[in-house]
Amino acid sequence: MATIEHDAFTAERSDHPTPPQHFEAALTDEEFDVLFEKAEELSEYFREIGPEYDQKNTFAFPSIEKFKASDLGRLSVPKRYGGHGGSLLQTSKVVSELSKGDSAITLAYNMHYIMVGMCLGLFSEEQNQYWMGRVAKGELVFGPFSEKRAGFSGLADMTAVPQDGGGWKLYGRKTWGTLCDAATIITTNATITDKDGNLPDSFEERVAAESFFVADFDIDRETLQGDGISIERTWDSLGMHATGTHTVVFDGFYVPESGFVCEWRTGAFGVLEWASLMFASIYLGMQARVLEESRAVLSKKTLGAVFGATVAADVKVSGVGHIIDGVGDMASRYEICRRVLYRTCEEVTGGYDDNWPIELRFPYIGLAKTFIADNVMHMTKHAMSMVGGMSFRRGMIFERLYRDAAASMFQPLNGDQSRTYIGEYLLQPEELED
Amino acid sequence: MSDENAFKDADEVYEYIGGMFATATKTPSFVEATKGTNLVVLIKQTKPDAAILVDFPGQTVVTGDEALAGKSTVVLRMSSDNANKFWQGKLNFTLAMAQRKVKLDGKRSVALKLLPLTEGLFDTYKQRLKDAGREDLIVA
Repeated sequence: MATIEHDAFTAERSDHPTPPQHFEAALTDEEFDVLFEKAEELSEYFREIGPEYDQKNTFAFPSIEKFKASDLGRLSVPKRYGGHGGSLLQTSKVVSELSKGDSAITLAYNMHYIMVGMCLGLFSEEQNQYWMGRVAKGELVFGPFSEKRAGFSGLADMTAVPQDGGGWKLYGRKTWGTLCDAATIITTNATITDKDGNLPDSFEERVAAESFFVADFDIDRETLQGDGISIERTWDSLGMHATGTHTVVFDGFYVPESGFVCEWRTGAFGVLEWASLMFASIYLGMQARVLEESRAVLSKKTLGAVFGATVAADVKVSGVGHIIDGVGDMASRYEICRRVLYRTCEEVTGGYDDNWPIELRFPYIGLAKTFIADNVMHMTKHAMSMVGGMSFRRGMIFERLYRDAAASMFQPLNGDQSRTYIGEYLLQPEELED
Repeated sequence: MSDENAFKDADEVYEYIGGMFATATKTPSFVEATKGTNLVVLIKQTKPDAAILVDFPGQTVVTGDEALAGKSTVVLRMSSDNANKFWQGKLNFTLAMAQRKVKLDGKRSVALKLLPLTEGLFDTYKQRLKDAGREDLIVA
């Protein structure tokens, strides 16, 4: 049976970890403070327009110009490519601050941060210079990967058919195209076929042929059509309305040879911290907002004379025991989650994840996200319970936070997936599977 | 290839896979790529049982009990059949890890230094098999 001999805390003091190369972390505290102020301003703007776009059920189009003007798009791009060189933790802090303003709008731009982080670890130096150089100049990047059949876990049914003159044409549909309404650079995965478009016969060959690509996303924003690619406005969900997570349709979309990045599954698992920790940052910001809104209401609310669970002539809610405890519980959960996220960012950036078994790196990093997701769902529900029936009415911040928090169940890794990874590792026999 | 094990005994493993590493550790490109690293890989194989300790910076390869007694920074476990495929570039490493056909223990940052080196070994290994007249071990 597998053993767990990986006390990161103990090992930290005796080992000399090797930080991953793609974490530049060159942004000083002073430089970061300037950028964080911009994040606070942008967060305020997101807060103002968030309710409108939740109600309209569309992407928050005016946010594009504001986001670009904030100069935050190149936050995590290394300085050598023209970016600010922000670290994983600094990026996390900015995402949480924006999410505190409006989680749905921020979730759209979070896609950009995720893909910048992942691409930095997967692109060749030449690709980084070209594509990250464009990001540093203000372009946005997105990455639709999930397909209807099996989501992110499914091997791509989308095909990349080799062309006589080189490069590939992509055919298929991606169902989670978050930020497609604003991005001009697309990354995606597709399975390389034979010349006739046939997928490889064996499972092993399919895994090896599934590849990661990058290309221009040149779309007419009126017709939503590009050359071999289009957007279908299919996003209609319980929450996170303003993400604009539409379907992207590939119908002979040409990707030149220079757009091939790497094998997808082999590469992606080494850099997925940018996905799970950025999602964690979204929900930490949402926790902060839940706490803020709950305090604002519960500190002032007066019930007057009541005869129910509490019986009194004049009840101020802030003096009721379970409300006091409830707000304290919320604040405690937020603080613990904050520490979990920050510490995880620091351990990954510092290379202390070296002390975890290789197979557990991905789910262990993902624990920050699943932990924060579980807590934000609890907190949004509890906030509604404490605030009372008014919180359930459409347009109230609490019902929106409750709806938006539910999205945290789905982004990778979710809690079930994390536990499966970890449990399988711990229960596996010593013998190899041959 | 039949369902029988690719190698009849550990000596064959040492001759072909061990021999490949003996060549690689002295090859200038490998010497340069592993200089200053602590990449010492213990390869433990099953069916037949065999052990090879490859000290890249020290440019030494030892086998058998001597390998097992040595100190390694990365341990790579797989069956000898899978090793034969792997060193020819015919085994997807990530998939094999996920399917537990291959087990990699050690620090991730050190292990990651090994993987980029493997591609450079495929031709060396195949050439070694050809030179020895062991085309039966070459995977199509």
